[in-house]
Amino acid sequence: MTALLRYQADLLLRSQRWLPPVILYAAFLGIGVRGGEPVLNSLGYAAAALLPVTAWLVRICVTGEPPAARACVAAVRGPVRAHLACLLTALLAAVLLGMSATVVVTLISAPVSDGHRVHVPLLRAAAAGLPAALVCALLGAAVGALANRPVLRSTGRAVPATLLGALLAVVLTGSPAQAAVSGLVTGSQTGRAAVPLLPLAAAALLTAAAFAAASWLTARRSP
Amino acid sequence: MTPPPEPCPPPRDEPRAPCLRLADVGRRYGIRGPWVLRGVDLTVAPGTLTRIEGANGTGKSTLLRLLARLDAPTEGCVTGRPRTAYVPERFPSALPFTALGYLTHLGMIDGLSRGPAARLAATWLERFGAGAYAATPMARLSKGSSQKVAVAQALLGDPELLVLDEAWTGLDTAARAELERAVAERTAAGGAVVFVDHDPGRLAGVPAARYAVTGGGLERRTGGVSPPAGPVTRVTVRGPADGRLPAGAARLAVSVEETAHGCHLLGVPAARSDVLLRALLTARPPWHVVRVEPAGAPPPDPGSRP
Repeated sequence: MTALLRYQADLLLRSQRWLPPVILYAAFLGIGVRGGEPVLNSLGYAAAALLPVTAWLVRICVTGEPPAARACVAAVRGPVRAHLACLLTALLAAVLLGMSATVVVTLISAPVSDGHRVHVPLLRAAAAGLPAALVCALLGAAVGALANRPVLRSTGRAVPATLLGALLAVVLTGSPAQAAVSGLVTGSQTGRAAVPLLPLAAAALLTAAAFAAASWLTARRSP
Repeated sequence: MTPPPEPCPPPRDEPRAPCLRLADVGRRYGIRGPWVLRGVDLTVAPGTLTRIEGANGTGKSTLLRLLARLDAPTEGCVTGRPRTAYVPERFPSALPFTALGYLTHLGMIDGLSRGPAARLAATWLERFGAGAYAATPMARLSKGSSQKVAVAQALLGDPELLVLDEAWTGLDTAARAELERAVAERTAAGGAVVFVDHDPGRLAGVPAARYAVTGGGLERRTGGVSPPAGPVTRVTVRGPADGRLPAGAARLAVSVEETAHGCHLLGVPAARSDVLLRALLTARPPWHVVRVEPAGAPPPDPGSRP
């Protein structure tokens, strides 16, 4: 699996197809995050923006290989593991992106709640922000896995489904990402930053299920 | 959704355990699509060559994808999980690697570490006459050169099952001959090779099981061995007392004649004589090669034989 992940990561890096989503994420942050603003609010925004970006990264990774090259790899390690490697590579890239964004946002933001009423220690804020970013990366990867090949194969269906899925995952009540983000936003109002452990567990389960379903389906759909 | 596969019957006793077995396998694309293949039974044993024939669009590629376990069958079951390598008929060069970089990655996926993978990749590129393109980006390779990369990626892992979907298409003459030699080496080393090729002369003279895909089913063709195309090299060998020919060598030879106690005169297609000699010299205990007569030489004088 390490060799597969290394191959997929190298493919993603060298193809330079990671640039558009990363630039989009940087633009999101540039618009929504200002230095010296309440830290938890900014972390919530950074986490929410990570979700659609992750879904896009998944789309890049699962469509990055020409079908014949995909078949060569799948013959060696099996189609399930080959597809799982695509999904995990995208997830790892998104986690890396989310972690660095969380660190940057924490460092440039003010350690206060909304209206500068309560002091929020930066470490405490980061401890709440990192799992929230992780929840959003996981859920974005789940949306990407279920809205792209092998589940939806035509671009005309996959792209709208990815966008819609990512939007719903951020705003729909009951979604772990929505819970984690709104936890940060309300925490910014009260000054108490809760670590979103329950949403994290739920997101991990959902994503594991989505990855398993998508990988299982690879050998069963037409190429 | 596909019903869960039924447990497969235990394999029957056979002289060689099959490395892959298709039992009553069917495949269709989509839930209500027409059946591309149905009721296919096929056993692939180690060290054998299997030729799949059929007109365009009959489902040969679908069958090969099932054999390489790229696709799961819609019905029936596939048993056996040999280490497999697959060569597609058209290999796209739209990959952001150099030829050597791509092959090194594939070698590492095969389980090698980086150094040996890179060395093996360079060796295989050299064998197919593409050594000069090792550092060339894949996007700039010609069709034939990228096909050489596709063939090299399949061979560098020493697969137990090699699946070739018209792998010869686009290769130059030297590379075609090299691929035939590589296939002979694989089968001599106990690997199974399944191939589709529209050239009836491809790998002629090598004992192969022939199957034809017709009307969505698979038929065994008889008259498996076509006469050897091209020149035949005669090799005289002496083995250990009451020694039997190594299996790899016996498969390669088109004629075997025991001339004296322990002495054999083997006829082998010239393209595979190297592989035959290697099989004999690396056998345990090794065989003594008395004489190699190139194709076209007059038959040996019986009196001069040792």
